[in-house]
Amino acid sequence: RFSTSALMERLPSRWPKPVWHAPWKNYRVISGHLGWVRSIAFDPGNEWFCTGSADRTIKIWDLASGTLKLTLTGHIEQVRGLAVSQRHTYLFSAGDDKQVKCWDLEQNKVIRSYHGHLSGVYCLALHPTIDVLLTGGRDSVCRVWDIRTKAHVSALTGHDNTVCSVFARPTDPQVVTGSHDTTIKFWDLVAGKTMCTLTHHKKSVRAMALHPKEKSFASASADNIKKWSLPKGEFLHNMLSQQKTILNAMAVNEDGVLATAGDNGSMWFWDWKSGHNFQQEQTIVQPGSLESEACIYALSYDNSGSRLVTCEADKTIKMWKEDLTATPETHPVNFKPPKDIRRY
Amino acid sequence: MGTLREILPSPKTSSSTFYDHSSDPWFKERYGGEPAEAAAGKLAGPAKPVPPYGKRTGFVPRRPEDFGDGGAFPEILLAQYPLGMGRRDDKGGSKILALTVDAQGSVAFDAVVKQGENAKKIVYSKHSDIVPKIATADSEAVEDEEYDKEVEETKERTVAALQKIVNVRLSAAQPKNVPTHDSESKFIKYKPSQQSAAFNSGAKERIIRMSEMASDPLDPPKFKHKRVPRASGSPPVPVMHSPPRPVTVKDQQDWKIPPCISNWKNPKGYTIPLDKRLAADGRGLQEVQINDNFAKLSEALYVAEQKAREAVQMRSKVQRELMLKEKERKEQELRALAQKARMERSGAPPPSTGMPVGGGRERERERVDDGDADMDLEQPREQRRETREEREARIERDRIREERRRERERERRLEAKEAAGTHKKSKLTRDRDRDVGEKVALGMAHTGAKTGEVMYDQRLFNQDKGMDSGFGADDQYNLYSKGLFTAQSSMSSLYRPKKDGDSEVYGGDADEQLDKVMKTERFKPDKAFTGAPERAGKRDRPVEFDKQEEADPFGLDQFLTEVKKGKKAVDKIGGGGTMKASGGSSRDDYEGGGSGRSRINFERGGR
Repeated sequence: RFSTSALMERLPSRWPKPVWHAPWKNYRVISGHLGWVRSIAFDPGNEWFCTGSADRTIKIWDLASGTLKLTLTGHIEQVRGLAVSQRHTYLFSAGDDKQVKCWDLEQNKVIRSYHGHLSGVYCLALHPTIDVLLTGGRDSVCRVWDIRTKAHVSALTGHDNTVCSVFARPTDPQVVTGSHDTTIKFWDLVAGKTMCTLTHHKKSVRAMALHPKEKSFASASADNIKKWSLPKGEFLHNMLSQQKTILNAMAVNEDGVLATAGDNGSMWFWDWKSGHNFQQEQTIVQPGSLESEACIYALSYDNSGSRLVTCEADKTIKMWKEDLTATPETHPVNFKPPKDIRRY
Repeated sequence: MGTLREILPSPKTSSSTFYDHSSDPWFKERYGGEPAEAAAGKLAGPAKPVPPYGKRTGFVPRRPEDFGDGGAFPEILLAQYPLGMGRRDDKGGSKILALTVDAQGSVAFDAVVKQGENAKKIVYSKHSDIVPKIATADSEAVEDEEYDKEVEETKERTVAALQKIVNVRLSAAQPKNVPTHDSESKFIKYKPSQQSAAFNSGAKERIIRMSEMASDPLDPPKFKHKRVPRASGSPPVPVMHSPPRPVTVKDQQDWKIPPCISNWKNPKGYTIPLDKRLAADGRGLQEVQINDNFAKLSEALYVAEQKAREAVQMRSKVQRELMLKEKERKEQELRALAQKARMERSGAPPPSTGMPVGGGRERERERVDDGDADMDLEQPREQRRETREEREARIERDRIREERRRERERERRLEAKEAAGTHKKSKLTRDRDRDVGEKVALGMAHTGAKTGEVMYDQRLFNQDKGMDSGFGADDQYNLYSKGLFTAQSSMSSLYRPKKDGDSEVYGGDADEQLDKVMKTERFKPDKAFTGAPERAGKRDRPVEFDKQEEADPFGLDQFLTEVKKGKKAVDKIGGGGTMKASGGSSRDDYEGGGSGRSRINFERGGR
C-alpha cells in the first residue's frame, strides 16, 4: 500500500511516546513595572534579562536574584519587542510609537533609531549571522534594516494584516513571519520575496518558536498549535490538545519543553516531540490586581533553558523552574495516543 | 521587344541598384538560379501543381509548398499557414494550461496554483500536506559540516545582496557619491546582417563611436516617478484548513452588538426611543447580587430584638417581684410599727418584766402583740377585780386618750401629707393657704362673719383731703385724689433717671455737654457744592427747587406766549399724540429749546 508521503506515519500506535519532563513551578514573582509587561529578551551571557512594558520603559533585571538593575526610558508608547544582539553590546527595542531603537548597553543610551515604519511595530528579530534587524508591525510588512547604517534594506510585503511574529534563521528561509491574516510566510531575504505561504491556521498566528536544535518550528494560534519542518515548511502535526484561548507567546528549550501562554493566564507545557501536553498552569494575579488581569504577554527561556520567565498583564514578571523533586512516579505521564489523528 | 532595348540608349546606372533577386531564396526556388541546382533534386516546376479553383475537394494544404504562389484557400476549412505566417508558437503565453499527469498516473490538478509566480515558490496543495506526520529521526539528522558550509555560503550571498541594496539607498541620498563615468568614447565594430552592395556602400562592417552624452549631474530627474498601483501580489495559495464553521444561532446572538447610541452626543439629532437609548447600558446583563451580609444583618437585628424583649420582660418581672417583696416587707414593717405605736399609745401595760426591755423591734412587736392578746385576755379578769368607780374613771381616761390619739393621728396624717407633696393638700390646708382675693373670687370670703367687726378698706384712711373738701366741678376728674405712683413707696420699682445722674461718668455739667452736642459744627461742610445755593436755614420740605429767574433780553417768552395765543385751542386736539416729531420733550408748553431744526407742525386738514 503506497503512502503519499515518505515521512507519513498514519497509524496512531506509531505515535511517539512523550518524553517525561519535570513539572514547572513558579518560584519568583518580580513586580516593578507600572504597566503590562509586553516583551522580554535575554542577555547572551545569561546574566540579566530585560523586559519592555506598557509603561514605556525597559527594565533590566538580574537573572539570579531578580533585582532591578537599570531602567531605560525613551519610548513614547508601549515597548512591544526586544532583542539583544549576540555579537555586539546592543539592545534593540520596538514600540507602538513606530520607533525602533538601538541602545548601546555600555553607555545605556539610544545610539540609533530606525525610521520607516508607518504604524506600531509589534515584533522584532535579529538575524543570527548577518547584522540585520527584522521588524514587523501593523503596516503588514516586515522591514529589514541594516544595523550599522540604519538603512532600510527592504520591506517584505505580502501579508494582508499585521505582522505579529517574526524570527530569522541562518539559512533559507532566512525570515519567517506570522501574521493576523492567519498565514505564515517564508521569505527569501536576498530577493525580498515570499518563498512559501502556509495557510493551515484559521486564526492569527501570534507566536512562533524555532527549535534550537531540530530543524523545525512551531506556530501558535487560537485554534491550535502546529509544528512544521524546515526548510520546506512541511506540516508535521498539531499538538494533541487545544488550549482554546488566544495564545500570545510560545517558547521551546533544548530539552524539548514547549511552553505556550494565553490571554486568559493559562500556561501549558508540551512535549515537543509527541505534542503531548503534560502540565497546565494558571497564573495567579498579584494581590491588588483584578482576576481579569491574568494574561501572559510574553515568555522566554533563558539561554540555558532551565528557567522560564513570563511577562504578564498584572505588571509582574514570574519566573518558573522545574520541580526537581518530581519523578516519573510522582508525576506520571498519562498519555493516550490519538485514536484518530485529527486534522483541523 | 528586344529591338526596343537596342533602340533605347543604355541606362546610365547599372542594374544592380535593383534588388538582386538572384540571392532571394524564393526566386531561387521558383525559377532555379542555375540549371545545376535545378537538376540537383528539384523538378523544373513545383512538385505538385496547386489544384485550380473548383477542383480542390479533398485537398488539404499542410506544408508551405502546398500553397504554391498564393495564400490560404478560403474554401478549405482548415487552419492554414501559408509561408508559415500566422502560426502562434506560444508567444505571449497561452491561458490554457496543459493537463499533466504525474508519475503515478494521477492528474496534477494543482498545476493551476503552481503556475506563474507560484512556480518559483513552494506551494502546498495536496491533502497529504494536511495530514499529520511524524518526522522520523533519520530525516532530521543534521550534518554539521555541511550545515556550517551552507550557513556560510548563505551568509555571504545575502550580505553581498544586501550590501548592494544598501549602497544604492545610501548613494541615492548622497549625490557626491555619484560614480564618475569615463568620458572616453568607445568604438564598436558592427557587422550588419543585410550585406549587399546597396547597403553601407558595399562595406561589410561598420565602426561606431559611442560616447556618453554630457549630462549635468545636478540636473533634476527628467522623468516623473509615477505612482503605479501595486501589481497584485503573488497568486493566491490554496487554503489548507477547513472552512470556518457556520455560526450557530446562539453564537450569533451572543455576539450581537447593538448600534452605538451615545448618551452624550446626537449630532444628527435623531429621535431614538428610550428603550434603544438604554439598550447598550448593560442593564439586562448585570445580575444584581445582594450581599449575604444584608440577610445576616436583618437576622441579627431580629435576634437581638427578641433577646432584648426577653431581657426586658425578665427584668421587669424580676423587678416587679422585687417591688412586691419590698412592698410586702414595707407593709410588714409598717404594720409592725403601727402595732407598736398602737400599743404605746393605748398605754399598754408595759411588757411583763419577764421580757427583756431593749429587745429587737420584732420581738417588741411580738411582745406587744402578745401583750395585747394578754391584755385582752386579762381584761375581763381585771374587770371583776375593779370597782365601778375605777371602771368609769378608766373609761373616761380611755375616751380622752382616744380623742387625743385621733387628733394626733389626724395631725400626723396632715403633716405626712404636707411633707409628701403639694398635691396632697387637704381641704383645710388649701383654704388656709388661699389669698383673700381668691376667696372673694370664689365666693368663700367671710366678710366679718367671724369677728363681728366692721372691716374698713384701709385705703380710705389717711387720705390727704378731708371731708370738707367738698365736691369738685362736674368735669373734674377726681376719681383719684393722688397719683397712682406717688402713693407707692419711695423705693418705687419705676426707674426715674436723674438729670445729672451720669455727670461723673461723662464729665460734669450735663447742660454744657448737651449744648456742645447740639451746636456742633462737625457735620457742616467747609465747602458747599458748586451751584448749590447756600442755605442759611434748614430745609422746609424734602426736595427744594430753585426758581430760576433769568433776564429775558429779547422777550422771547413774551413772543412765544403771544404766538401760542394765536392758535386756537381746538387745534390741539389732534396734535397731542405721541407720534409728534419732536427733538425735545413732547410737552405742549415746552417749545423753546428742543431740536434746533424748525419743527414741522402738522395741522389737521379740513375743518
